[in-house]
Amino acid sequence: MTVTLYDVAYWLSSHLVALATGTSASNLPGGPWTTAAVALAWLVTGIIVFAASLVNTLILIWWERKLLGRFMDRRGAMHVGFAGLLQNLADGLKLFRKQVFSPREADQFGYYLAPTAYMVTSIILLGFLPVSTGFVGGSVPLSLLLALAIFSFAPLFIFVGSWSSNNKYSLIGGMRTAAQLVAYEIPLLLAVVSVVLLTGSFDLTTIVMDQARYGWFWLPLILGLVVFSVAMLAEMERIPFDLPEAEAELVEGWSTEYGGMLFAMTMLGDYVRGLVGSYLIVLLFLGGWTLPGPLAPLAAFPLGGIVWFQIKTYLVFGVFIWVRAALPRVRTDQLLQVGWKRMLPLSLANIVIAAALVVWGWPHLTWPAL
Amino acid sequence: MKAEEVVPRLQAEFPSAVQSVALRPGVLARLEVDPGSIVPIARWLRDQATFCHCSMVGGVDWVERREVLYLLWSDEFRTYLEISAWVPGEDPHIDSVSGVWRGAIWHERETWDLVGIRFVGHPDLRRVFLPEGYEFHPLLKSMELHEPEELEVKRRHV
Amino acid sequence: MSEMWVNMGPQHPMTHGLWNLRVKIDGEVIVDADPEMGFLHRGIEKICEYRRYNEVVTLMDRTCYVAGLSWEHVYLMAVEQALGVSVPARAEYIRVMSHELQRLASHIMWYAAFVQDIGLMTPFLYGMRDRDLILDLLQSYTGARMTYEYMRVGGVRNDVPVGFTDRCRKVMDWLEEKIHDYEALCDRSDIFLKRTVGLGILKAKECLDLGVTGPMLRAAGVPRDLRRDHPYSAYPELDFVIPTHDGADVYGRYRVRMEEMRQSIAIVRQTLEWLDHHPGRVLAEKVPRFVGTPTPPPGRESYILRRGYPKGRGFAAIEEPHGEALAYVINEGAEHPYRVKFRSPVMVNIAAAKDYLVGYRVSDIPPIMGSVDICVGESDR
Repeated sequence: MTVTLYDVAYWLSSHLVALATGTSASNLPGGPWTTAAVALAWLVTGIIVFAASLVNTLILIWWERKLLGRFMDRRGAMHVGFAGLLQNLADGLKLFRKQVFSPREADQFGYYLAPTAYMVTSIILLGFLPVSTGFVGGSVPLSLLLALAIFSFAPLFIFVGSWSSNNKYSLIGGMRTAAQLVAYEIPLLLAVVSVVLLTGSFDLTTIVMDQARYGWFWLPLILGLVVFSVAMLAEMERIPFDLPEAEAELVEGWSTEYGGMLFAMTMLGDYVRGLVGSYLIVLLFLGGWTLPGPLAPLAAFPLGGIVWFQIKTYLVFGVFIWVRAALPRVRTDQLLQVGWKRMLPLSLANIVIAAALVVWGWPHLTWPAL
Repeated sequence: MKAEEVVPRLQAEFPSAVQSVALRPGVLARLEVDPGSIVPIARWLRDQATFCHCSMVGGVDWVERREVLYLLWSDEFRTYLEISAWVPGEDPHIDSVSGVWRGAIWHERETWDLVGIRFVGHPDLRRVFLPEGYEFHPLLKSMELHEPEELEVKRRHV
Repeated sequence: MSEMWVNMGPQHPMTHGLWNLRVKIDGEVIVDADPEMGFLHRGIEKICEYRRYNEVVTLMDRTCYVAGLSWEHVYLMAVEQALGVSVPARAEYIRVMSHELQRLASHIMWYAAFVQDIGLMTPFLYGMRDRDLILDLLQSYTGARMTYEYMRVGGVRNDVPVGFTDRCRKVMDWLEEKIHDYEALCDRSDIFLKRTVGLGILKAKECLDLGVTGPMLRAAGVPRDLRRDHPYSAYPELDFVIPTHDGADVYGRYRVRMEEMRQSIAIVRQTLEWLDHHPGRVLAEKVPRFVGTPTPPPGRESYILRRGYPKGRGFAAIEEPHGEALAYVINEGAEHPYRVKFRSPVMVNIAAAKDYLVGYRVSDIPPIMGSVDICVGESDR
């Protein structure tokens, strides 16, 4: 059992409570005091995860702007902070200062609920994705399953938001999102199944450890990696699959009616989902925070795992940015065709490969150490 | 048919409708025709003389009467033909040629909008640029240019 | 799902301007379309009647904000015919060169906006980058980047500066290379082909019936180009071909415009060669000047011939980047034109929207309307 962020926070809070009540931390008086310690621990964990996700998102957007700028023969953000690093913070503050409003005809509850819930569910995901050994918000045995379950909440809230905006473009965007996410949820999950077959565990830490031991999964499951990445691209609603917010035809898709901080929340949700998608690809197929073969000791430094994990994540996201710079947007029917007619068979083939590997005694097959 | 035969044959076909013929640079000829027979002339020009493209329909206000201008293009002769028809200033109207060239629909709408010439038999004679329900036809000479705030523009019906 | 009308515009990213495309959709399929214009109507034809002939040139830049010089050209050709002014050969060549540079700038702008419509962001910025070079060129001899006010009755305002031709040649070389890049980014992309081939089909017969002109017509296989078919200015002496395509679809229009850019580069090179060897005047010596009151007295009296120009009518047609542009000028002898009438190719091309939109999907509207090359300033005037 690894030590998680929550465990550390609880250790701290229980000592604080013990100090306050004059007992020992291992033997709290119970009742409201214990509850207070647990609540404090959760609060601290939540704040850390929230701050980490914000910082990560800011860097991710910066990375996207810089890289996209280079692809486009320009420089990207460059004036605020070193190399424009603080530009996104400035943009966020600007949005934060704006008036919060809702259209008169909109359904107020749904209108405000949707971006909030969209952002919150996205950030919750970061709470139990391990970024290094022990660096995880809370330890959940079935973390992969839970992550994917929460990941698929988004279309619901998008649909709520699009419907309550009372705008035709929002509605069309919302319906497209629903169709798209349903179509790509299945290949996504089937691609994950192959990884689960090989490890026999839904715990992400175990999956990473297995990869460190037996070789990264991208090699045996290359098909799965492709399917998972393409499906993730669709789940993130990025070009070429950004139909729900195809700005040329639907103005801004389901978030057309949102402005100011509400828009910033949808944007934040988008990028956190992008981050989570890249995390999952790294965790499931690219060895997580470990390094292959002779480089492995480099990841063993204190915090070394986090560094490698982040570098891998940004590289994976860089590929998505590259795709965005190079490809146009597909059409709805073409998107669904790709989803059902190409991705689904490919992911099934991938499962067959994984099953065959397991039948041949996968963990003990001596794959060349990568 | 050759380009120079078009006008004589048109005159032979419609002896009373073609009122005058003038030669001008840039176009094959400038014909002034009877507004009542514009549609048969247009159809003849399209079918017999290959003027397949109605390039422009326009109107000019000459205060006591108005002029409707048609510019036709023939891919075969590679030239324009200018046709003008004079309509009275009171209730100016002329038959629509939108049945001959569908491209004339919007030109005629524009002419109605700006010069106030009504096209009889037009399928969809709405304003193009100005709001529906606007009382004026701005290119009439009776309309003087005003400063914008002096005109009371009705809210566009949405 | 029941049918519903959707207003795409007047402020919508697809419109590239200020107009409204009302489409009736059944789910994602378009069943009816009704373009609505006039949001940018400034009454240019009316204002022209209150301006002296040279002053109208200012308005012509505002007519089409991506191809101002083309409109200056067509208006002045009509005016010169109406007033009986002849233009020096060097001025004609400079006009043709400006016109072709403007066509290049317009087509690059179109390309940038078009690929942006189907989600390609990189070529958009490539296009804007290269268009800037052309604007720099235009700025070097007209003094402006968008509203040039460069041509005059009887010629052009000033000659090109020293060293301009060499600079221009360099830019043309650069552009020729970059057009390959543009094509590589689009033609080799399967998604791009899927989004453009077979979309927005408007066959030659319908094009002729609807009066659609320009690259849309040539993409339907009709090789009509007024530069060759109704030659004007210096075009009879220049050598170029008219690109056509058989697809009659969005992809065909894209191909035609790409080839036209190459032809424009060739034309510019020829005019540069000519300009190098033929110095001379750029403004006619004898331009009739009217000495009168600057503002007309109220009523019709202002249009009565007092002194100055002989009466006359002028008519000119050019191949503008968007299609066939006509100007019709009636000169009643006053210092102001009696009536100026323009034919905007964009208005006619938009007006045909129903014919090339019905049956396609909502997602196809941006590429299809993008392939029309819309400049609302020109269609609304």
